[in-house]
Amino acid sequence: MIQVQSLSKSFGKVKAVQNVSFSAPNGQITGVLGPNGAGKSTTLRMLYTLLKPDGGTAQVDGFDIIRAPLEVQRRIGVLADARGLYPRLTSRENIRYYGRLHGLGGESLEKQIEALLAMLDMQEIADRPTEGFSTGEKLKVAIARALVHNPQNILLDEPTNGLDVMSTRAMRQFIQRLRDDGKCVLFTSHIMQEVAALCDQIIIISHGQISASGAPDDLRRQTGQENLEDAFVAAIGSAEGLER
Amino acid sequence: MNRIWVIFHKEMLDNLRDYRSWTTGVFWALFGPLIMGAVIMMVGSNFREIAKQALRLPVLGAEHAPSLVAFLRQQNVIIETAPADPEAAVRAGDINVALVIPPEYGEEFRAGKSARVRLVFDSTRQSALGDIRQATRLLESYSEYIGILRLSLRGVSPEVARAVQVEERDTATPQSQALIFLSMLPYFIIFAIFNGAAPVITDATAGERERGSLEPLLINPLPRGWFAVGKMLSAIPFAALNLVITLAGFAAIFNLLPVEELLGMQIEMDAGALTAIFLVCLPIVLLACAIQTLIASFTKTTKEAGTYLPFVGLIPALPGIALAFLPVKPELWTMLIPTFGQQILINQFLRSEPILMNNIIVSALVTLAVSAVITWGAIKFYENERIVMGR
Repeated sequence: MIQVQSLSKSFGKVKAVQNVSFSAPNGQITGVLGPNGAGKSTTLRMLYTLLKPDGGTAQVDGFDIIRAPLEVQRRIGVLADARGLYPRLTSRENIRYYGRLHGLGGESLEKQIEALLAMLDMQEIADRPTEGFSTGEKLKVAIARALVHNPQNILLDEPTNGLDVMSTRAMRQFIQRLRDDGKCVLFTSHIMQEVAALCDQIIIISHGQISASGAPDDLRRQTGQENLEDAFVAAIGSAEGLER
Repeated sequence: MNRIWVIFHKEMLDNLRDYRSWTTGVFWALFGPLIMGAVIMMVGSNFREIAKQALRLPVLGAEHAPSLVAFLRQQNVIIETAPADPEAAVRAGDINVALVIPPEYGEEFRAGKSARVRLVFDSTRQSALGDIRQATRLLESYSEYIGILRLSLRGVSPEVARAVQVEERDTATPQSQALIFLSMLPYFIIFAIFNGAAPVITDATAGERERGSLEPLLINPLPRGWFAVGKMLSAIPFAALNLVITLAGFAAIFNLLPVEELLGMQIEMDAGALTAIFLVCLPIVLLACAIQTLIASFTKTTKEAGTYLPFVGLIPALPGIALAFLPVKPELWTMLIPTFGQQILINQFLRSEPILMNNIIVSALVTLAVSAVITWGAIKFYENERIVMGR
């Protein structure tokens, strides 16, 4: 469960995020949709405590991101914008490192790693150094290490970026599986169709501000448009960032 | 706190697999002993040559001055036939020095005038200086010898013509020249420490940013400063390993090479001196890791780190080089400068000089304190969001 209140962040004169508020409940997929540079990643980065907001705040499972960042970090699993791995370590070692940083260890950690390897169908690459992995393979390692501590809240920044069609499909199924497990899933995308297909709730951001939000049906109603693509264009005021 | 060891453990594993980086570091550990060994061999053989070898003097027109040539032969000079163009031969470096005796020598000599001879040499050629000096001295002493004979024949005491008699006493020994090189030894040790840590730190800090693995790493639930500490600690074994290798290398050089025969002096590098030098250098290991962690953390790519870190390793060289030419007494203030104090102490160990325990303690404490401040700076930088935004 993530609750966001009036989050704002500027870099110099650029107002990256202004007064963003929403809440992402458990057992739902919340999509943050917006064109490139709209402020999606900056919002997420504040939620996963990497950046300090200039104004406003947010809570993850009731813990404040400013006052209790460590508590927040324990409760989130993050696929960040930067998702570099350690090329000389194997997939398993990459995942194990994050598990240990979360204070896990021993038999229970190894079991959890094994479960993640199975769930993401990556046993074959488990004990290979990640040097030279494909984008899809790297992404699987990055996701597995983000989920190694079994977090309740999952933040994914453009999770399907750079994936081929099959991997994108698998990724979407995986996101739905997390929702079905009762997790709070918050993800960003600039691909309208993806958000439309997956999300229970959509937050449209442009120029650092929320321009519309709600369930897909609500959005259609709010903007008075028949299909979601038109609703998106109406909400952000232009067709920029529409892709497929 | 034990999660710092998780970071340490991972960095160690990662770095040990990156054997190309750390073996490069190890190479730098051998660099000092190899250079020192080569210098000792070269200097040593030079001394032996100068000491033992007779001067070979090519002479052009020897037939014009038989008594001069006979005098030179008497002084153990090997007279050789000079090439037709001695100046060209000297310029080309074929010979060090040549004596040219012109045909009018005999006439001038018999007339009791100053008979002219010409000595051809290149004074800028370092290796020829010994021969040049020896030839000049021999010719001067011949001139003096003849002059004395002539004065005596005229009934004048030779002392009249010699108002001042200079007695030369050169206290320079091969040892004191070798000591100049010995003064460079502490720097080589420090250099090895810095270079042992550099590749490891570069990969753990700048490399982490370059790969894009820093951002996800910092989301893990531990204070960000711990990452800086863990990374710094993981470089310590590599820096310490380089210290050990360098010391072992120097010990091998001094114990295996016939140093005493080459330089005519004994250099103390027994187990006791080695242990003492190792302990004195340990604070520098911390300092090298701390300062390089701080600087490499500011850089965004390993390439950028690679342009800064070599300069960091050079800083301790500056006082060390000064030390080679301007001997500094081991006073307390010198111990307040990290790396400088240790260089003086190492020199003292090598020369088996008495060492004040106070100096050792002060230099260690100051170096440790400076390392702590620098580490604190690195921690602060990791806590700043610039470390993730500066891309």
